[in-house]
Amino acid sequence: MLSRRLSEFVQALRGAGLRISPDEAAIAMQAVALVGYEPRQQFHDALSVSLLKDEQQRTAFEETFQRYFEGQGERRDASAGEGAEPVKGMPDALSAATEESGELAPGLEALLAASAEQLQQRMAEAAAAMDFTQMQVITQQGLYTRRLLMNMGMGAVDERILQLSEGGVTSEARADDLREWRGQVREQAASLVRRQFLLHGAARGRELREQTMRQVSFRDLREFREVKTLVRKMARRLASAHQRRLKIAKRGQLDARRTLGRSIRHDGVPATLVWRRRPPHKSRVMVICDVSSSVSEAARFLLQFLYALNDVLPRVRSFAFASRFDEISEDFQRYSPDVAVARVLDRLSGSGTDYGEMLEGFLGLCEGQLDRHTTVIILGDARNNYLPERAELLGQVRRRVKQIWWLNPESRNQWNSGDAVMASYLPHCRVARRCANLNDLERVVDGLLGSLRAE
Amino acid sequence: MKTRIDSVEDITRSFAEQGYICNDQIALAIYLAAQLHKPVLVEGPPGVGKTELAKAAAAFLEAPLIRLQCYEGLDESRALYEWKYGKQLLYTQLLRDKLGGMLADTDSLEASMARLGDLGEAFYSDTFLEPRPLLQALRSDEPAVLLIDEIDKADQEFEAFLLELLSDFQISIPEMGTVTARHQPLVLLTSNDQRELSDALKRRCLHLYIPYPEAAHEAAIVAARVPELEAELREQLVAFIQYLREQEMKKLPAISETLDWARALVLLHADSLEQDMVADTLNLVLKTEQDVTLARELLPAWLRKFGKR
Repeated sequence: MLSRRLSEFVQALRGAGLRISPDEAAIAMQAVALVGYEPRQQFHDALSVSLLKDEQQRTAFEETFQRYFEGQGERRDASAGEGAEPVKGMPDALSAATEESGELAPGLEALLAASAEQLQQRMAEAAAAMDFTQMQVITQQGLYTRRLLMNMGMGAVDERILQLSEGGVTSEARADDLREWRGQVREQAASLVRRQFLLHGAARGRELREQTMRQVSFRDLREFREVKTLVRKMARRLASAHQRRLKIAKRGQLDARRTLGRSIRHDGVPATLVWRRRPPHKSRVMVICDVSSSVSEAARFLLQFLYALNDVLPRVRSFAFASRFDEISEDFQRYSPDVAVARVLDRLSGSGTDYGEMLEGFLGLCEGQLDRHTTVIILGDARNNYLPERAELLGQVRRRVKQIWWLNPESRNQWNSGDAVMASYLPHCRVARRCANLNDLERVVDGLLGSLRAE
Repeated sequence: MKTRIDSVEDITRSFAEQGYICNDQIALAIYLAAQLHKPVLVEGPPGVGKTELAKAAAAFLEAPLIRLQCYEGLDESRALYEWKYGKQLLYTQLLRDKLGGMLADTDSLEASMARLGDLGEAFYSDTFLEPRPLLQALRSDEPAVLLIDEIDKADQEFEAFLLELLSDFQISIPEMGTVTARHQPLVLLTSNDQRELSDALKRRCLHLYIPYPEAAHEAAIVAARVPELEAELREQLVAFIQYLREQEMKKLPAISETLDWARALVLLHADSLEQDMVADTLNLVLKTEQDVTLARELLPAWLRKFGKR
């Protein structure tokens, strides 16, 4: 029983955003088996020591613990009840009156005769038999409430009300009383379901929302409030995946040539060993973002992502253009990514992109700094407003740098429609990908980090 | 090492006897770690007694304490084992003639090789192995307490390397095979949160966060460590430190600094916090000039309000 409660608790914690592996859950069980359920503080500490691995999530943990182990018990506390008064049993006079009319179903009789405590007991039993962990969205609450009431045997009450309302005036009054009572019970059931939804549904809901956020196009992403957290989370995952591999091996292979060279002064005895070291990689990334209205949302996320990766990509220079072309690295060094993006959009956004002019501006600004460690990323839809595309300038860039990546927020079949001129730029790009949502973006950056490592 | 721990209270009591005053959560974490054979990751601001905890645990368990201090660039050869290259080299040089003699009567290359092969392992034996803290802990004759201090300062690759040790208490040495712990050590890792530790590491550990202590708790610590300090002054001192921690300081004063200050006050024969004396000794508590200036400004107001009742 306790282990089931605990695994439900673990699931609720996951819903609150904590990452808990099955292994950790098992340790928590062992810990609880050691210290027991009482005293409560020790029980709490044992769970916190084995499940809470990040102090920043302390509040989430405490809240869930409160809801889970303090909220349920002999009586519901104020926060759990959420306004629903504990329902009284059916008033005596009424139950007596209903009995007069004779031949009640035995289940109904027991239900009506139940005291407040018994009623709650019944509801708790009915709830225990149900599986609330499948609840996913908030609108499912009605369904679950109805199911809970049915499990309690409230169906008999419905029938009884129907039966009474077909009778005379006196029985009509009785039916009203019954209806009111039924309403109270329903409210209580609804509050129980709401609490269960907070515990379990929220978990599913979060996963669902995250999946949606990853797949929805950048333009609609603004609707989601949690998107910033998600971007940070994705960036951190990528960073930790690539960080280790980007490190240089400190020792490993013997540098035989230099070891022998040094041994000469010791009469050929290799007194000091020299290990082969690989020089640290010097890859540099330059991003050029189209921030005209059609692409600016994608640019916002690409830039946020790249700067969140500061640990593994320390040398990012960024440029933006719409009607004008300018370097924006400084905005990102000085302000947090959100602010920086807003400032850049303010300063440069507009319509009428000219890719040819952008390339010219880029070459003018940093042709001298392009070298074989540089990766240039261009984010744009290549819609050039029928201006000269000047692809030869991109060729000039390519000859100086390691590689060019082109990210296009439109799907591949749109790349050459209308005023789009991807076809002329494509031959110069080592990689050209669609980048329309967070999933695409993650894949692109993953590939990018991989290619930088290969250097 | 003690094999039986009766209860959590047992730990609290023993720690208190050593002058390490801890709350129930800390004691519980040590209890669970010892019972479940799980490493504990101890986090918290600097100076709250993370390292002291390991010492207290070692004393309580009557086990030797083996300490590995982490730093950037720490690698296996510093943490686990190293071949004593100098000794190996010296031996081969000294034994050169002997080896020549041994090989003199062989007539073919194969025969010489075979003879060398017989003794080849000799140069990679225990004689030439320099065990570093991790290997010491695994090969210790009695269960030990292993303290891996400031793991956040080590590189990520070292962290990854630790995983095998933490989950299975074994480690592979290419020339010798797998070394399994004779007795499972109690492992404590500390971190000052300089960088995010990997999920894999956190998953394998119990997690204990030690915050700055509350006033009553801190007073108890001062009472245990600096018993010479008078009770009244102790209350005052703790109240002032707690007040400082609420300010916008660059580096907040930790318990170790409270204790330093308490000792200084005893030496100076102080009997209450007075403006001049506090101003003169503030640099024991606060470690940057900026903080000291700020505290000096705040001091008169605080003294007026709380200093003398």
